[in-house]
Amino acid sequence: MAAAALAPAEVTRVARDALRRSVRGLGAYHLNACVGCGLCGESCHVYLTDPVPENLPGVKAARVISHFRRYHTLAGRLAPLLVGARAMTPDALDDLVESVYGRCTACGRCGLNCSVGVDVGAVIRTGRNVLAAVGKVPANLQAVVDNQTGTGNQMAITSEELKDTAAWIAEDLQLEMGRDDVRIPVDEEGARVFYLVNPREVKFFPLSLSAAAGVFHVAGESWTMSSRFYDVTNYGLFSGDDRAAAEITRQAVDEARRLGCEEIVLSECGHGFRSFRWEGPNWLGKRYDLPMRSVLELLDEYIADGRITVDPAKNAERVTLHDPCNLVRWGGVSEPQRRVLKRVATDFVEMTPRRAQNFCCGGGGGMLSMSEYGERRVASGRIKADQIAATGAKIVATPCHNCADQLLELNKHYKLGVEIQAVVELVYNALVLD
Amino acid sequence: MSDTLRIAAAASFGWTVLSLAAQFAQARGGGRSDLGARAGSPWRGLIYNFSTAMTPAHKESVRLHPVEFGIGLLLHLGVFFAVARAAALIAAPAVPTGPAALGVLPGLSLLAGLTLFVRRLAAADLRAMSSPDDYLSLLLTCALLAGAQAFQTGLLSAAGFLAVAAVFFLYLPLGKLRHALFFFVARADYGRRLGYRGVYPAPREGGR
Repeated sequence: MAAAALAPAEVTRVARDALRRSVRGLGAYHLNACVGCGLCGESCHVYLTDPVPENLPGVKAARVISHFRRYHTLAGRLAPLLVGARAMTPDALDDLVESVYGRCTACGRCGLNCSVGVDVGAVIRTGRNVLAAVGKVPANLQAVVDNQTGTGNQMAITSEELKDTAAWIAEDLQLEMGRDDVRIPVDEEGARVFYLVNPREVKFFPLSLSAAAGVFHVAGESWTMSSRFYDVTNYGLFSGDDRAAAEITRQAVDEARRLGCEEIVLSECGHGFRSFRWEGPNWLGKRYDLPMRSVLELLDEYIADGRITVDPAKNAERVTLHDPCNLVRWGGVSEPQRRVLKRVATDFVEMTPRRAQNFCCGGGGGMLSMSEYGERRVASGRIKADQIAATGAKIVATPCHNCADQLLELNKHYKLGVEIQAVVELVYNALVLD
Repeated sequence: MSDTLRIAAAASFGWTVLSLAAQFAQARGGGRSDLGARAGSPWRGLIYNFSTAMTPAHKESVRLHPVEFGIGLLLHLGVFFAVARAAALIAAPAVPTGPAALGVLPGLSLLAGLTLFVRRLAAADLRAMSSPDDYLSLLLTCALLAGAQAFQTGLLSAAGFLAVAAVFFLYLPLGKLRHALFFFVARADYGRRLGYRGVYPAPREGGR
């Protein structure tokens, strides 16, 4: 849990320590490189929908950089006013909250298009690292992190509730598939695949867990979930609390090892993929001894290897694909979902722009949990809504439950008239059963 | 030209080089690599980030702002010329100045620099992220370009140009001019990381 009540005198000291640690992890290159050219605006969905200076990525980054300069550059120490260096006083850090949590989803699109090559998303996360250390993470976002570290999952779902839910989803699936041996295994030692899911799948969107179970069954997969640590999300990534993020990672990875699984498979979750696949080993300071991949890669493999047979005619409506920032731009998984969708749907169309250049839906960076920024979140989603509308699609395949939540809201707000589905749901729908 | 001024300019240039080297070492200190299992090639990502990723087709900021990009490019071409000219003067003062026509480049670059200065003053977005250093750095750059232009066309002595260059080099590592180094290391670091994760090089279709 983040430090919640530091004495004012302690705030600057703790913030400086956190800044030093964060800079060490990132490499200070990016904090030294911004030239303030201001050409990043059109790369940001927040700025495009509300073009005020405070929303310009360069301005948001400059807030973080001003603190870096104050403590890590000669001119910042000797002549702070000259170089815009600012001390990390409690008031200055309060100002920073709005910039790095409220006006930025840390989607990284501006960094990719930066004229210099500054990883702006990483700069913003440095700001979040500092704020997490001094207990200034927005309360609702911090509450999710606390749930994860305290209960093992973000929604504080108990083990019993998980087992009950898995049981009734499996019963429904048996009826639907006409097979009474379909199961959702929980805590089964020695299963090949350890499957992590978004707790939203358990609580609100059982269709995607059900679909995954159906596909695994047909593919003859040996898999299990854990009743204790099954959460693929990691809100430590969003809050900037690396210690909590490491703990959340460790819980799940240790659980997979305890159950004797051979591989960890991550369900459709953008930031969960980035957290576990890429940042997790860095937070833990060591490489995993188990392979890990996205369920999208597994689905792609099932189809390629003929372990499942699919009929695209079963998904006859036009389908488009949303690229979650953390999965694609930060995670490098852009092609498996495309290969899968081309096999399971007859009319798959792309958005423009797409892949690593795709726009954030507006719900990233923990924005969905910070209700105080809800209005801005929905407004900034207009770019994504326009992208979707331009495709004429009836179904938006979305390999991320955070994005799905945001897209559901955008669907209502902007009257898009589309259905939001996980990729695995489309695969399940296209299954050819013997 | 007095040796004293030449030595002062050389010392200033040396200060820039050493100071940037120290800043690079400090920035790099303890920096860690990704520990996740590699999905691509860091080197291919790095090369891609310095080539294809910088083209208008792949970099939105360039595609949407061709005029600003062109002006910036012109400014930097002139700066490279002026720095090389000053370095040559320091190293070998007897080398001929060359034709006055060479002064066209720093002259045009000076116009580009002044344009960017006015733009920074005029645009609210830019003012919001600017500190006095942003204006000072641009003015010093313009001074260097003016010095190079005047020297090349015979309007300024070598000593005068070196004096301007010495001030420029003295300030370079202190403010935003540091991007002379950090442009390269930031872009290299970013490209390498994206390459490691398999984001770069972008798939052939490119998403456009």
